[in-house]
Amino acid sequence: MALSGIQIYKLLPQTNCKDCGFPTCLAFAMKLAAKQAELSACPHVSDEAQTQLAASARPPVRLVTLKANGNEVKAGNETVLFRHEKTFYHKPGLFARVRDDASDIGTTIAAADAYAVNYVGMDLTLDGFAVESTVDAAAFEAAIGAVRSASQRPLILISRDPAVMEAGLKALDGEAPLIYGADADNWQAMAGLAKQYGAALAVIADSLDGLAELAEQIAKTGVENLVLHPATESLSKGLALCTQIRRLALKKNFQPLGYPILAFPGHEDAGIESVRATQAITKYAGFIVLDHYAPEYVYPLLVLRENIYTDPQKPIQVQPGVYEINDPKPESPVMVTTNFSITYFSVANEVEGSGLPAWLLVTDAEGMSVLTAWAAGKFDAERIAKSVKQFELPDKVSKKVIVLPGHVAVLSGELEEELPDWEVRVGPREAVDIPSFMKQAL
Amino acid sequence: MPVDIPKDKWPGEVRTVTLGAAAANGGTRGSVVAVGGEKALPFMHFETDTPHRPALAMEIMDRLPEDWSPLLLEFWGDTAKDPAVWAKAAEDAGADLIQLQLSQTGADGNPTTPDAAVAAVKSVLAATGLPLIIFGPGQADVDNELLVPVAEATKGERVVLGLCEDKNYRTIVAAALANDHLVTARTAMDVNLAKQLNILISDMGLPLERVLMDPTTGALGYGIEYGFSVMERLRLAALQGDAMTQLPMIVTVGYETWKTKESKVGQDVPGEWGNWLERAINWETMTAMTLVESGADIVVLRHPESMKRVRAAIDELMTVPE
Amino acid sequence: MADHLVRFDTAPAPVSVPTGTLLSDAAHRAGVDIQQPCGGQGRCGRCAVRITDGTVRRRSTLRLSNEDVEAGYALACQSVIEADVSITVPPQEKIERRLTTDRTAAEVQVPDSYDPAQVQTVRRVRLTVPPPSMDDQTDDWSRLQIALRKQVRLTEVGISVMQLRRLGHILRKGEWDITVILDSQAWDCPDCPVRLIEFKPGLMEDRDPLWGVAIDIGTTTVSLWLVDLISGEVRAQVAEYNGQIARGEDVISRIIYSSKGSGAEELRDLVLSTINGLLQSACKQVKIDPHDVFKATIAGNSTMIHLLLGIPAQTIRLSPFITAVNHIPTLTGRDVGLDTHPDATVDCLPGVASYVGADITAGVLSSGLDDTEKVTIFIDVGTNGEIVLGNKEWLVTVAASAGPAFEGGGVADGMRATRGAIEEIWVNGDTYDPSYRVVGSVKPRGICGSGLIALLAELFLAGVIDKGGNFNTNLDTPRVRIGEHGPEYVIAWASESGHGRDIRLSHVDVDNLLRTKAAIYAGFTILADSVGIPFEAVEQVLVGGSFGKYINVEKAIQLGLLPDLPWENFYFLGNTAIRGAYQALLDRHARERIKDIANRMTYIELSADNTFYEAFTSALFLPHTDLARFPTVQAALGAPIPQ
Repeated sequence: MALSGIQIYKLLPQTNCKDCGFPTCLAFAMKLAAKQAELSACPHVSDEAQTQLAASARPPVRLVTLKANGNEVKAGNETVLFRHEKTFYHKPGLFARVRDDASDIGTTIAAADAYAVNYVGMDLTLDGFAVESTVDAAAFEAAIGAVRSASQRPLILISRDPAVMEAGLKALDGEAPLIYGADADNWQAMAGLAKQYGAALAVIADSLDGLAELAEQIAKTGVENLVLHPATESLSKGLALCTQIRRLALKKNFQPLGYPILAFPGHEDAGIESVRATQAITKYAGFIVLDHYAPEYVYPLLVLRENIYTDPQKPIQVQPGVYEINDPKPESPVMVTTNFSITYFSVANEVEGSGLPAWLLVTDAEGMSVLTAWAAGKFDAERIAKSVKQFELPDKVSKKVIVLPGHVAVLSGELEEELPDWEVRVGPREAVDIPSFMKQAL
Repeated sequence: MPVDIPKDKWPGEVRTVTLGAAAANGGTRGSVVAVGGEKALPFMHFETDTPHRPALAMEIMDRLPEDWSPLLLEFWGDTAKDPAVWAKAAEDAGADLIQLQLSQTGADGNPTTPDAAVAAVKSVLAATGLPLIIFGPGQADVDNELLVPVAEATKGERVVLGLCEDKNYRTIVAAALANDHLVTARTAMDVNLAKQLNILISDMGLPLERVLMDPTTGALGYGIEYGFSVMERLRLAALQGDAMTQLPMIVTVGYETWKTKESKVGQDVPGEWGNWLERAINWETMTAMTLVESGADIVVLRHPESMKRVRAAIDELMTVPE
Repeated sequence: MADHLVRFDTAPAPVSVPTGTLLSDAAHRAGVDIQQPCGGQGRCGRCAVRITDGTVRRRSTLRLSNEDVEAGYALACQSVIEADVSITVPPQEKIERRLTTDRTAAEVQVPDSYDPAQVQTVRRVRLTVPPPSMDDQTDDWSRLQIALRKQVRLTEVGISVMQLRRLGHILRKGEWDITVILDSQAWDCPDCPVRLIEFKPGLMEDRDPLWGVAIDIGTTTVSLWLVDLISGEVRAQVAEYNGQIARGEDVISRIIYSSKGSGAEELRDLVLSTINGLLQSACKQVKIDPHDVFKATIAGNSTMIHLLLGIPAQTIRLSPFITAVNHIPTLTGRDVGLDTHPDATVDCLPGVASYVGADITAGVLSSGLDDTEKVTIFIDVGTNGEIVLGNKEWLVTVAASAGPAFEGGGVADGMRATRGAIEEIWVNGDTYDPSYRVVGSVKPRGICGSGLIALLAELFLAGVIDKGGNFNTNLDTPRVRIGEHGPEYVIAWASESGHGRDIRLSHVDVDNLLRTKAAIYAGFTILADSVGIPFEAVEQVLVGGSFGKYINVEKAIQLGLLPDLPWENFYFLGNTAIRGAYQALLDRHARERIKDIANRMTYIELSADNTFYEAFTSALFLPHTDLARFPTVQAALGAPIPQ
């Protein structure tokens, strides 16, 4: 179980020697509790304390890493049931599935491999491919070869037949794929393959009892990197099983189920598949295999995954940029605020409520409110002027009136210097006064 | 290996809120919709039963919403020119509830009058037997001016009046109190703000059995993670026994998603975004599903195809596994 | 660039300034004093002047009504000279001196068994120096050193050139009897360095006083105690507003002011003149010369100490919020610019972080928090709301930037607790009429912190404002009305006030006060959460600072400013910073303890993640969003306590 800062502190030397790089032992203990520091940073910790702390630090959900050609996909190491409690750490890997009887595998995979979509400055892509055997070992090997010639991303190999699987594994060199999978009948052979080829192994069973038993048996053979595939034929059953697995791992420290979950949301109806993949992303899947990966399906899933796996401990920010409110025209004023979401919402709501058009310039103040950001030097004339240029406001407006929040009236002079051809105005201090200010003063 | 399944036992439960009143109860609705009543996290059938399924509302307007996505305008066509016709079409499309959004101005550009608002509401009530959610245009003084006569004209129907916000809730709550209606309380993606507004409304004497809360959710790609977590936290607080969070949650998914560029715009967007219509439907459906997973009790949508998909998913989620 | 003539009615001659000059800068050049409590940020509106001829460009007219602007008023710090103008400067509000001395001159107990020989670093030794002769031509300084070695066994004594200049004269004047004042951090160590501060001719009596001062430099108030280091007694207590106030009310404003032009020098001069003025008046009370003060121990927040020493303070306010120095080496009166003896020891106590300074480490010492088994909260509410939680085993601290609202700032009719301030108030629940008590029993001119706390609680309980701080405008009373900034409550009508204007509390003021109290309460929650201690586990709450002298615990709990703990667990300690400085002045072990406190106190930076916003928004409600945290308030409101 995780220890609190005070509990860890009591195990530390309490000398405040600063050798760990933190000002006090308690500060270090709090960082350890938050998993933002490593115990090894303390050169003076006793062996006994080390043992106790190590036990508390063991991840309840094992980290499983799939590798290929320098690419990695990780799942596991999760510590919470709800993202607000801490954060979800490892985004579930999204894998596109091909069958070995498909025609023109190389072209399909090359297109999916090349797919990248920009979302708030990041290029989002699929993480790898799943190759499924439907014919025989030779076809499987050929399909894997075709995939490999088109993509260097990690793979999931799908076959319950150990002989076929071995043919597939032989086609890969020095990779750590996920092999799917081990069931009650084939598990010994599959475990042997996983061990021999350094692959992670998916464990398949209809019930949680069966899953736990199988996982434990396989773990005893020395295969550590397991992935669980519970029976998820309906949304409600999948939700129940995935929740139970995560709870058992986190709350009961139940090791037989302390592994990432593999989900197959695939469905002949792409719309239904999207819905199932949505649940897999929000509720605990570690690897997700998709059958439909046209952009209109993949793009929203990639975005959802990005959203759910952002760190909720960071201040709630909105995207810096220019927000158009009430359909602004070139002669509409520019209102400035920071990207702290609560600040943004209160300002945007009031401007919207005024019924008057305006451009709302949201500057990057690292998620701080106006006064805090100003006090910390994150909201000054230079930054505001930079945002004006960055977001191309001069091309959007003709009247060039910019309104500062009243709390930073002090910046008006400097902003006049930064933006010489703009008229700098000072708005009200409180958002509630914006509508009357806009009606009277603008 | 028999696994001992950990089951949560919660001390609290969500209030049941009933929308709409049938003739026997002083209204004219052909159907009423009860939501809430959860005693566990969403769809944890192995812990306890889920008394009510999440309800689906279709959003319509009192006049043709020219600023809506062309995809929606194209789909609804002339139907959207008459709120009564539109409401009936929404009912036919499988909605459990109708959400009528009043506009700030009429088609002629003049401000919507109270009489016009009342007439629109009455025509919708006449056209459909579904319970009604009525939102003002979203500007405090105009909302109050329109919603009070609407509340009076629909006394006893148990319509939901929206939106109560922290700076403007008194008038709407008073109108709901006087005319046997419900209200919806909207706050900006924050657990505390949501709770605070519920307390303020409750302090005015409106029973919480007549309040829905709308925590503001954002859309996929536009802040949905905040909505998702705020809703999970509100639901956890409710189950833990915090009386002021034990309210069903309503989420305005159609409004949130159809204003995103992904849904609204079909031209001059990146090719990587794929097919416009399917993308837009996915945007609405996936936003809805994410919020259903985190505890939404009423989901307001704009496109019937999304409604069809979300309904199918809820059917599946409500099926108790063997 | 064109120049323009600016005429001030209070200046003898016009000044010529270039286009674009700020009106406040022009005033400065003309030698006209215009108060800028917000440091020239355009926030407070106190620098309003009237343009009687010509025009200025007003960047901002915040705090001015439309009528004001039409009547020619402009904010000096927000107006730009672009033409010749004539300006009328209204009489500047003189800060009326609160009788801090009389109200706070608490009986100070000399610590039990104070033994200067054991614990005082400054001591006096009497020496009889063998006179020189033709046979013994040893120099005067060596002669004194030999006497020190032989008679008091001190080997490593240092001396300043200034004292060397006087040495020969003094030795001969006392006919080779001399009294030497020395400072050593470790008298039990003969080889440790000793610093010679002063010598006097002749042999002084052992019991004669030896003078030291303890000083607390608050953002708002500077306090000074004059102490006899022999007996340990406090012989005079004086306090005065920090002269820097006119250049900014809070530390951020001061730091910003210090970074502009000669701002740093100006602020340093201002605080030095405040301190030296206090020194003068304290010495006058006991009829001594300030030069006879040989030791000064100074507490103060990190910004105040940086500004006093002329150390750039900019990095304090900028992420990652670093001070230049927390542990300051021992300095002299001359180094710092104090009018004490130039070689007097000046000991600036150590701080912890940018926003947790020596006032807090000293406060912790004097509160005994570092030496108790009980889990204790210590709060020092000045302009910065520092909070410490802990016991003898561990200490954590945060600074919740409370802002000046409870000191009367940031509230339109707020004022400090000076003459004319409403300090206590009750609101009738039926008529909504107030009754109040005013400092100095005169007509009210405004309302101070304690009054604001009481007023907010009373308005809340009377139902004038709801739990969200919104006014109920449907009440049957003319006192609740719609003012310029939305709904407001009239505390005193113009006819009842000392300045002939209504005294009001507006919706904006309520929001400000709510934010202040929420920041403080959030500080409590963050600290408790950071170490996983439930509030109920807190066994005592120690409240320090001038805040603690007047507030009513019941009202403060009703607001949700202080946690809802049994009243008997609250202790009001007054100015703990100066008490801590006093203890450190007397006792080197106490000084060591402060150093230890500074070293082991763990500072929690609130801006590191969003847990503060969580705690803050939940506290931004009356008394709190989580009603279960305030059971006694729930009971007072007559509502059932939610499970």
